[in-house]
Amino acid sequence: MNNNQKETKINPEKGKALSSSKGIREEILNIFKKALADDIFDAVMIPAKVPNTDAYSWILLQDESLFEMADPLPPVMAVQGGRALSSFSKNGELDLKIAALMRPCEIRAAVELFKLHQINLNHITLISIDCPGATPLTDYMNDPKKLAETYKKISEKWEVSESLRPACQNCHRFSLIDGTAADLHIGLLGKNDKVTLIPISSKGNEILEKLGYEPTDSLEEWKSNREKLLKEKIKNREKFIKEWQEKINKTDGFFNELNKCINCHNCMNACPICYCQQCYFDSQNITFKPETYLQKSKEKGALRFPLNTMLFHIGRMSHMVLSCVSCGACEDACPVSIPVGRLFSMVGDQTQKEFDYIPGMNREEPLPLQDFKEEEFCEVETPNECEEKVTEEAK
Amino acid sequence: MAKAIRIKNNVEEGLFEFLKSLLEKEKIKGVFTLKKMDEEGAASYSLITSVDEFKNAVPLFPYMPVNAGKELSNFTLLGKTEEPIAAVLRPCELRAFVELAKRAQGDFENILTVSLSCGGVLDLNTMGEKNQEDLISKYWDSVKKAEVSPNTRETCQFCENFLPLNADITVATVGNKDLDKEFTLFFNTPNAEEFAKEASGSSVSAEIESNEINEFKKKREELKEKYFKETETDENGLKSLINIFAPCLGCHGCSHVCPICYCTLCEFDSKTHEYPTPSLSSDLQKKGGLKVPSGNLLFHLGRMTHMAVSCVSCGMCSDVCPVNIPVATVFSKVGASLQKEFDYFPGKDVEEPAPQGTYKEDEFTKIGEQ
Repeated sequence: MNNNQKETKINPEKGKALSSSKGIREEILNIFKKALADDIFDAVMIPAKVPNTDAYSWILLQDESLFEMADPLPPVMAVQGGRALSSFSKNGELDLKIAALMRPCEIRAAVELFKLHQINLNHITLISIDCPGATPLTDYMNDPKKLAETYKKISEKWEVSESLRPACQNCHRFSLIDGTAADLHIGLLGKNDKVTLIPISSKGNEILEKLGYEPTDSLEEWKSNREKLLKEKIKNREKFIKEWQEKINKTDGFFNELNKCINCHNCMNACPICYCQQCYFDSQNITFKPETYLQKSKEKGALRFPLNTMLFHIGRMSHMVLSCVSCGACEDACPVSIPVGRLFSMVGDQTQKEFDYIPGMNREEPLPLQDFKEEEFCEVETPNECEEKVTEEAK
Repeated sequence: MAKAIRIKNNVEEGLFEFLKSLLEKEKIKGVFTLKKMDEEGAASYSLITSVDEFKNAVPLFPYMPVNAGKELSNFTLLGKTEEPIAAVLRPCELRAFVELAKRAQGDFENILTVSLSCGGVLDLNTMGEKNQEDLISKYWDSVKKAEVSPNTRETCQFCENFLPLNADITVATVGNKDLDKEFTLFFNTPNAEEFAKEASGSSVSAEIESNEINEFKKKREELKEKYFKETETDENGLKSLINIFAPCLGCHGCSHVCPICYCTLCEFDSKTHEYPTPSLSSDLQKKGGLKVPSGNLLFHLGRMTHMAVSCVSCGMCSDVCPVNIPVATVFSKVGASLQKEFDYFPGKDVEEPAPQGTYKEDEFTKIGEQ
């Protein structure tokens, strides 16, 4: 609850509201076109529809004519933006000024990847956007026209629709939140035809200035709409966490959800946080002789193949769940419809609370596992001393 | 001629009882087969060693959650099994295991292979779903009538290699109208014949090939032509491939589930294929824009050159693709033409070397030295 209350509050007072007769998508693209033309950025990373197909991807563009395929609010999240950003920025010095327009969960993933030394953010400006969510990737691929139509309605009305991915239905970090690492935010929750640029960091302020925009417009309407939606989403999320906690209250519950796993590791490969070149569970460290497998089988009567699927999920979870941004990319990529995104999000929620950590906020904040605080977890480490200390403090 | 035994029982039950009796009498120490995991009906492969656990075995369950050849390879990667086991595999899974054994990724010794004339498997995403039972019942109807079931994988619909090549035991299913009441087991190898006496049925004179089988093959060949034609890889070349693979996320699920892709670390997951950041300026200047992450098509083409000559068309890759790319059809199509060039049929014989592993002076003279 504390985190939620903290997140309801929001700091910035003013922004620059831009209206466009051609619609918000066009207006957003115009901002980037202008920024490219004025040399504020050398290149822009933005979602795009691949020509002649229904597929979405990311494009890093310099040539203005390529904006034609760009879509700042695509109906799906194909590749997680953090992963896309990392793919070209981690191997050596970046000598270009790049703007990346991403959904808030993608921004958070990018920041976690920055902390994990998988993105160099020095020359990258992170621009977040109010996010209506996305539709499930497979649903979209099954019927692109219908889902694009559905998504259009959802994003116009800011509906928390069941046609959205479960991760998005339960997402309470869809907009600007205090402590975000984004430099600039694009608010869409104000008046219908308005795009509001909200500067956050000094870099963001600078960009607005260079664009010739003075942030003098009030954010009141945007704030009140945001808060209204946030309340609904927080309620959804609390309900979801409670429901899944009850479902998964012991290992059996966990296994029942995961027993369809076929070991394809799509979840891990779609996950922005899982950046390892070679996962331990893809290595040969856990290969044994046939006798060992037969022995294991005899102990229980049967041995499931593929091996170690449960161990894989638990192992992956212990590795990355503190940084889980609940983006749902894993669930989108699962070929056998395991609610893996919901599982990880629920466990992430609990674990992150224990460490008082929200992944993807302040860039300087260390990752919990790389940081030791003497007083943390004293209730499991030194229960006696811990009790003494608490009593002393109470006095 | 293989020894044939007709068993008066429903095919699913009859095969179950036969395997169970082998386990009970300790003729074998384990059965590698599909096993039900929950009430919803999802199944997984399992190495079953106790008769009690065997009650949940479903050897003919028409799904392929993983390619069994890949799993048998995982089982025997470090050597042969000392104790004999039976393994129930579909023909393409058996071919995959042959290709893996050929590459020292598995060992056939002490494994009694049981396969079937195969009606295909249902799409994986229907496993454990509400309509599963209905789909399975329709599936068996089409198997009996030797019709191509529309709910099976695309690769199954056009598979003409549905008879196992080198199984020890073959279960005849396709085109047998009375599968509810009786079915025939073929014991093809000397190794298998000693198990024949455990089958409680009567010896008959029969062949697995039949008119129904030939008709079935023809239907599937027609479908193959149709599907290959629809997947226009050669007419438009690279442009067409770019469109087909446009939605690719780079999850590499296709390579993870492919029985032939056995590398511990794929070249395309390695550092070699990461984008070098300093190239960004010149690449952007040249092209105006880059799709990021880049290299998805290169991955598919690279994987294709690595494994298409051994592609057994099992269809796992298409089934796991989260964005519905017809990976298997493209790879089957390319595989078929490549295999023809090399006069190679993957999965036929462990002893036959893989084409890339051999050199014949007279091959490809048309593109090499005349």
